Amino acid sequence: MGSPKAPVSQATQHPHNVQPWGNYLFAQGKDTRNAGLGRLRALDDEFLMQVLALLPAETLGRLACVNRAFYCFSNHEDLWRALTLEAPELEGKWRFKNTWQQTYLKASLPIHNFHRKHPLRVQGFYSDLLYQPWHCTTVPLHSSWLKRDTIDRRTGLSVEDFKQQYELPNKPVILQNTIDDWPALLNWNSKYLKKVFKGNTILAGDYPMGFDNFLAYSQRSRDEMPLYLFDKHFASKAPQLAADYKVPKYFDEDLFSVLGEAGRPDFRWLIMGPPRSGSTFHKDPNATSAWNAVVTGSKKWIMYPPSALPPGVHASDDGADVACPVSLIEWFLNFYKESQKGPVQPLEGICRAGEVLFVPRGWWHMALNLEESIAVTQNYVSSANLQHVVDFLKGGRAELVSGCPFEQRGRLHDAFLSALQQQRPQVHCLSSCAELLLSP
Amino acid sequence: MADKVKLRSSDQQMFEVEEEVAFQSLTVKNMSEDTGLDAPIPLPNVSSKILAKVIEYCKYHVDAEKKADDKPSKTEEEIKTWDTDFVKVDQSTLFELILAANYLNIKSLLDLTCLTVANMIKGKTPEEIRKTFNIVNDFTPEEEEEVRKENQWAFE
Repeated sequence: MGSPKAPVSQATQHPHNVQPWGNYLFAQGKDTRNAGLGRLRALDDEFLMQVLALLPAETLGRLACVNRAFYCFSNHEDLWRALTLEAPELEGKWRFKNTWQQTYLKASLPIHNFHRKHPLRVQGFYSDLLYQPWHCTTVPLHSSWLKRDTIDRRTGLSVEDFKQQYELPNKPVILQNTIDDWPALLNWNSKYLKKVFKGNTILAGDYPMGFDNFLAYSQRSRDEMPLYLFDKHFASKAPQLAADYKVPKYFDEDLFSVLGEAGRPDFRWLIMGPPRSGSTFHKDPNATSAWNAVVTGSKKWIMYPPSALPPGVHASDDGADVACPVSLIEWFLNFYKESQKGPVQPLEGICRAGEVLFVPRGWWHMALNLEESIAVTQNYVSSANLQHVVDFLKGGRAELVSGCPFEQRGRLHDAFLSALQQQRPQVHCLSSCAELLLSP
Repeated sequence: MADKVKLRSSDQQMFEVEEEVAFQSLTVKNMSEDTGLDAPIPLPNVSSKILAKVIEYCKYHVDAEKKADDKPSKTEEEIKTWDTDFVKVDQSTLFELILAANYLNIKSLLDLTCLTVANMIKGKTPEEIRKTFNIVNDFTPEEEEEVRKENQWAFE
């Protein structure tokens, strides 16, 4: 056979020594998985996990005592993360310890004295489902993933040039030196955010939690897809944050503002996450465009034009359902090479502190935080995409409209046009004169 | 007269099923949209024994939802009872039903079967779990003691 595999370095070994399934093919010893599951070996890992996900904590604890294979399955962090985040009685009470399992147990049994030792390391247990997430957390980022830099970078662009060269042709660009005067660049760090969010919760992965708890989690977690602070209410919870930045001049037309803050769909988010957090491929809602400003840290972006489906992504014909089944790192491991060889090349680049990315409407995009990063983003409607947004809202598929209460979605089209007509009559006229707008 | 769909199991048995019943499986529904209803739809991952059970499940649930006098024909209570009886099968059949429900993309059946297995594990001691599924204890005595200490909280 071929040369022996290089030994996996200690740092990346799974805590219970779970091996990837591929290793089984070269192994000489017993297969702990199949021998260890009894009749349950008929179920693939995926289904076994679905069953285990239905079990309460005590059952998982007992299951861990059954044998080596079940020890590995029961200790899978995904199970304990779900138990912690989904337990209504623990909301606001849990504090992140070093693992989700410890976090859950400490929160639900606060006075219990837990016996702690090094996790048991088993031999001969093979499972991609258990191994892969650990691998993704620890595998170093390949330099090839970060090298390509094909998104235009511009400094000192006039608003008119931006519209003509990027917004109207619907092309991405990284705008430099356009937010140099933001107080955010001086103020925003964990200490500051902790202060301004005191007494409030933030939304991470759509779960409410205290900011300092999120920070503790961020710094200690070994999650493959870390919880990502993505909070649309940051400005009402911490008005200082809204005062620390202002919308760059290129984007201040902001036509949805005619609906007022109560009537407009969600439009601005504070974003923060540890290294390897981020967003998998998606298109932004309601045919809007967006800008994303990195305040601290750095993000690797990969972008595909609207009509080109990125590798590894599945979308229904009407675009209503998008599935990107793999995590960010898994996408890089499995699909990055393919993305470099496809008929449509993605645009890529790293956005660093002080830089703003323009995300044109309809473009697929994914973002990977290369270090702990804080960013702010807004979606917007301008004359350039007005017709598209109007058409999208008119389309009549209420379930595709997002960012506002369900009852409002069907009426958003009419409400928007009527408010536009009242407040910006010259722009309202443009929406029916779109051809004149786009012609040379 | 309702349209019928022809389904062919892995062991080449043919089942003719009403469209509404067959389309409880999103896999079958999608495949028939590609190939039409004339040709039989091959299901190489599902044996005739399991396919018959799946069809029984789908048929019951389609009938149970049918409305007469503006009320569904079966109450939630009745459906639950029927479901409970439906899954009273040997383990190997139950596991095959999970795999089939996944392959055929019938969410309610997948949920029901997974929950059934979960309930077979809940509340049991490690030894009882081993007995239920014929699992061998491969811990060394030292390992077993360590693991037991680590999880003592689950026994109190």
